[in-house]
Amino acid sequence: MTRGLSKSYRTGHIIQGRRPALVDLDLQMLRGEILGYVGPNGSGKTTTFKLLMGLVRPDRGEAWVFGEPIASRAWRQRAGYLPEQPYLYDYLTAAEYLDYAGRLFGLARDVRRRRARELLSLVGLERSADVPMRRFSKGMLQRAGLAQALVNDPELLFLDEPMSGLDPVGRRLVRDLILDLRRSGKTVLFSTHILSDAETLCDRVAVLRSGRLLSVGALGELLRLDPTHLELLAAGIASDTPGLEAARRVDLVGDRLRLEVEEGSLGQVVTAIESAGGRVLGVQPVRRTLEDYFFEELGGARSATPASGAGAWGEG
Amino acid sequence: MGGRVSRTLAVAANAFRETVRERVLYNLVFFAILMTLAGLLLGQLSVRQDEKILKDLGLAAMDLFGTLIAVFIGTGLVSKEIERRSLYPLLAKPLSRGEFFLGKFAGLAFTLLVNLAVMLLGLLLTLLVTQRRTDPGLLAAVYPIFLGLLLTVAFAMLFSTVTSSTLAVVLTVGVVVVGRFADVIRGMRDVAPAVPPALVSALFAIVPNFSNFDFKSRVAYGDVVPASLLWGVTLYAAAWLVLVLGLGLASFRARDFQ
Repeated sequence: MTRGLSKSYRTGHIIQGRRPALVDLDLQMLRGEILGYVGPNGSGKTTTFKLLMGLVRPDRGEAWVFGEPIASRAWRQRAGYLPEQPYLYDYLTAAEYLDYAGRLFGLARDVRRRRARELLSLVGLERSADVPMRRFSKGMLQRAGLAQALVNDPELLFLDEPMSGLDPVGRRLVRDLILDLRRSGKTVLFSTHILSDAETLCDRVAVLRSGRLLSVGALGELLRLDPTHLELLAAGIASDTPGLEAARRVDLVGDRLRLEVEEGSLGQVVTAIESAGGRVLGVQPVRRTLEDYFFEELGGARSATPASGAGAWGEG
Repeated sequence: MGGRVSRTLAVAANAFRETVRERVLYNLVFFAILMTLAGLLLGQLSVRQDEKILKDLGLAAMDLFGTLIAVFIGTGLVSKEIERRSLYPLLAKPLSRGEFFLGKFAGLAFTLLVNLAVMLLGLLLTLLVTQRRTDPGLLAAVYPIFLGLLLTVAFAMLFSTVTSSTLAVVLTVGVVVVGRFADVIRGMRDVAPAVPPALVSALFAIVPNFSNFDFKSRVAYGDVVPASLLWGVTLYAAAWLVLVLGLGLASFRARDFQ
């Protein structure tokens, strides 16, 4: 839980100013939930993680984990952290690194060995357990980083961009892992650029922009889950068939037509297709996505901060 | 308390393993070559003379190689971890910044100890093979060298927490060089009276006198170093270590890792 957590960084060398990175963050995590932490580049996500981990100190505000102030080290025994693009010692093997991480938690040698075996298998690195990490790909490092975050079997996990650098198989693995963690009652805070991941995984999302928390809540509340329109797929007709003007949009996809239709116009459009000898292949309701939410609610972000524009969302 | 010690030792063990894997101890190969060549070449001189030169050379090489490791590895011990962000996942664990800092120091200290021990054995072996006296009194020179190296590492770590790696190397070398000529600085009062005495006193006070750790010539000549002198040097080193490591730790604790 954070209250009024704020952090600014110094800018410039000769004439020094301060750039706010996080402003008055009030955020509470609920036990057993997956909270997605989303926002454009430079919105303060990584700064939040660093503040919670004690890597940077807040200008003002407070934060507690398991009821203890963040400066305390006791709560860390029950938490795990994966930094963004982790650099792990390249002269160590993944098994050695996990053993080292386990020692810092005071785990006994046999427990460390067992945990290392289990975790490397969990993240799909069992065959590379004894390979020096300097030979690892970016995705393998990310998996090893995830394994070290789990070495103490934490109740609470802080994952900063856990999907970064992963191929589709790796992403799937991490997604499944996070869902497994939720099933076993763990609490997870993870930041992501990949909105579909947040949609798939999160119980709630916290939306950040320019260091300020814009909104936090269940996806359904944020996205207003009622369908916004219907998507209709048709075959055997031309795009200029009379009656299709009632559709919001008509796209030719191969030899088929994809139509965006308001609910009220559906009957009219279907009649037009069938009258022209075409076939309706399918109708699907389309709801607002998290990405739509961003571009509608955060439209100003694109013009205000070039680095946090649409391109930022395409990363990962 | 036990947890603190075991975490510090874990960091130290990993720092030692890093130096081994990064081939820092390869300097021992150069030392071995140097001792072999010296042993062969000095065979032409009188026994008493070449024994002194061999000891002198061996001790000087230990000091030099040790100082190079202390400066170049010492300045990177913490700064490299910050630059590469490898300390982020570690400091998120129950490991405190103090444990990390002191663990790193202890790890490099152990590397230097192993390095010196192997070089001392090499020197004794060279003396033995070339049929000269193996003098256990060499320890009285090697021990103060080790203390000087610990202090060098402490300065390297202090500077690396407040400035860039390159500047930290320059500053550490500066302290070591000036410290080795500390007696000369003190003598400036006599040879250069124009220099303000306050400046001379200040310079003498802020830099440790590294010549206090230099017993090489005395031991090479076979002089006995009194235990009381070694105790005095130990206390002198301990006082400086507490001060410099304390400053380094305070600086490291105050840092933001952006």
